[in-house]
Amino acid sequence: MAEQPFVECRGVSKAFGNVSALHEVDVDLYRGQVLAIVGDNGAGKSTLMKILSGVHQPDRGTIKIAGEPIRIADPHQARELGIATVFQNLALVDQRDVAANLFLGREPVRAGIFVNRKAMREGARRVFADLRVHMPSLAAEVGQLSGGQRQSIAIGRATAQQGRIIIMDEPTAALGVQESQKVLDLVMRLKAAGTGVVIVSHNLRHVFSVADRIMVLRRGRRVGERLHAETTPDDIVKLIVGAGRE
Amino acid sequence: MPDRGPDMDAKTLAVLTAAADQPPDVSTDRLLARLSRNRDLVLFIIAALIFLFFSLTTSTFLREFNLLNILRNTSLITIVAVGMTFVLIAGEIDLSVGSAYGVLTVLMGMLVVAVGLSPWLAMPIVILAGAAVGLFNGLFIVGFGIPSFIVTLAMLAGFRSLALIISGERPFTPRGTDVFYDLTGGNMLLPLGEDRVLHVPWLIIWMIPVVVIGGIVLAYTRFGYHVYATGGNREAARDTGINVARVRLSVFVLTSALCGLAAALVFGYLHAAAPTTGVGFEFRVIGAVVVGGTALTGGRGSILGTLLGAVIIGMITGGMVLFGYSQNVGDMATGLLIMVVGSLDLGLRRHLRSRAW
Ligand SMILES: Nc1ncnc2c1ncn2[C@@H]1O[C@H](COP(=O)(O)OP(=O)(O)OP(=O)(O)O)[C@@H](O)[C@H]1O
Ligand SMILES: [Mg+2]
Repeated sequence: MAEQPFVECRGVSKAFGNVSALHEVDVDLYRGQVLAIVGDNGAGKSTLMKILSGVHQPDRGTIKIAGEPIRIADPHQARELGIATVFQNLALVDQRDVAANLFLGREPVRAGIFVNRKAMREGARRVFADLRVHMPSLAAEVGQLSGGQRQSIAIGRATAQQGRIIIMDEPTAALGVQESQKVLDLVMRLKAAGTGVVIVSHNLRHVFSVADRIMVLRRGRRVGERLHAETTPDDIVKLIVGAGRE
Repeated sequence: MPDRGPDMDAKTLAVLTAAADQPPDVSTDRLLARLSRNRDLVLFIIAALIFLFFSLTTSTFLREFNLLNILRNTSLITIVAVGMTFVLIAGEIDLSVGSAYGVLTVLMGMLVVAVGLSPWLAMPIVILAGAAVGLFNGLFIVGFGIPSFIVTLAMLAGFRSLALIISGERPFTPRGTDVFYDLTGGNMLLPLGEDRVLHVPWLIIWMIPVVVIGGIVLAYTRFGYHVYATGGNREAARDTGINVARVRLSVFVLTSALCGLAAALVFGYLHAAAPTTGVGFEFRVIGAVVVGGTALTGGRGSILGTLLGAVIIGMITGGMVLFGYSQNVGDMATGLLIMVVGSLDLGLRRHLRSRAW
């Protein structure tokens, strides 16, 4: 853990109109480590994730990747930098099929413009086999699938990018017990393979079963960060709701 | 939840390998689902039925309204409808196409008749002017965030007024001959003239590459995929790095440029540029696209569907004329058809959705 963080954010702030979504937030991400981010609704978790994925630009603050100061201008660049994201809303196009969604925004092409369906299908088979997920048909419209299957596509999209950091914004929100466990197992496998994982969750049992570190956001501010070994769910809940400390 | 035994992976792979194949079970729902997916096939069957109906009920339909004539009569609509398909799939609408087509036709007439340009030179200028019109629409829609319905509704009035003003409300009629008029079918109007080559009307020959290229771009290129994504879920498209603004702008530019092409062609075909060209055109264009199965809500549709939609509307409008009704009745029938297609579609999708979970 003495190694250099892969991603280093310092003093990151972001406002939407006059809503301050993030205020002076610091966060470090290490490869091969799981960081959990918790906090109440509207605490700014998704905003922080979207800044790391290039969807939003911070108003202030710096981001370094592998020690280099960098501006993550858009999602393409985030991907190139090795950051893959499972968005909270899953970012699926319901009218399109599984394969198209799995490669949304980075469709493999032939001759520079023609989408390579064959490569997409093969890639999709590999991804779902790796995830040990059953997908009835790659040609199925995503809107017709179950919540768990939809979640699998969003997760598969991120794992397929083989990022050095995977961000998962509430990946278990729509899932039952067994399916959630599969996601948590996946997190551990990614970690073992040296990938850094950021997981946002409201479920502290899930958080404690995978996280190395837990960071708490409240109303856009980082109010604490604890090592797994040095904290308890009670401690974290107190930080989330803001009782006691400050 | 399905069995998750140890042979899960093997089973998964087997299922995934057979992904595209349909399961053998053919219950009604499955049939409906398949129909809903293969809309183009359904449209084809409907088109065939309408064709059969008019062939059997009128003595002249087969002679007057063979497929080539139907296609010619709707070819300009189809050309613009190709662009409109992109617009609707991207989740937008362009109500200004009729007036844009009108003002661009006037521009074509002015360039050839008043300025004295060769129609061959005027045509690319008019197409570029069309692209500029689309850029203008797109600037308000994408740049200022005004809904496309509002912007293009305003432009529907604006461009028509412009057409009337710059033309002095009078048509431009070219004098003299040019191969341009031969190659757009315009010489049909001359004695011994003919609007076709090897039986195929020239307008169809112009339409074919637009339909083919449009269909390929939409279905098979990355740009086409991004058009579907933008209209299906704009936020998802943005989050995954699709340049949503560029996609939205492009579809308006494409459609207006095609209005420019249609304007140049209609000028050649009719040997005239009237400022009233294209009144009601937007209705027929959007009608063809919607009857062709493209959703007004975005994310769904195809060029083949649009072509079939245009043919269906063309047959109904033409058939009505054979029954002795006017174009107005044809438009009414088209309106009715849009209602029927729209509600069938919605009903079918609701039914399937209620069964899906
Ligand atoms: N695109 C946006 N435009 C305007 N306001 C936004 C936008 N995104 C987030 N916000 C606001 O920023 C604040 C933080 O939102 P964010 O989505 O980051 O919270 P969150 O911690 O992810 O909450 P949840 O647990 O509900 O997902 C909220 O007040 C929210 O309303
Ligand atoms: Mg969130």
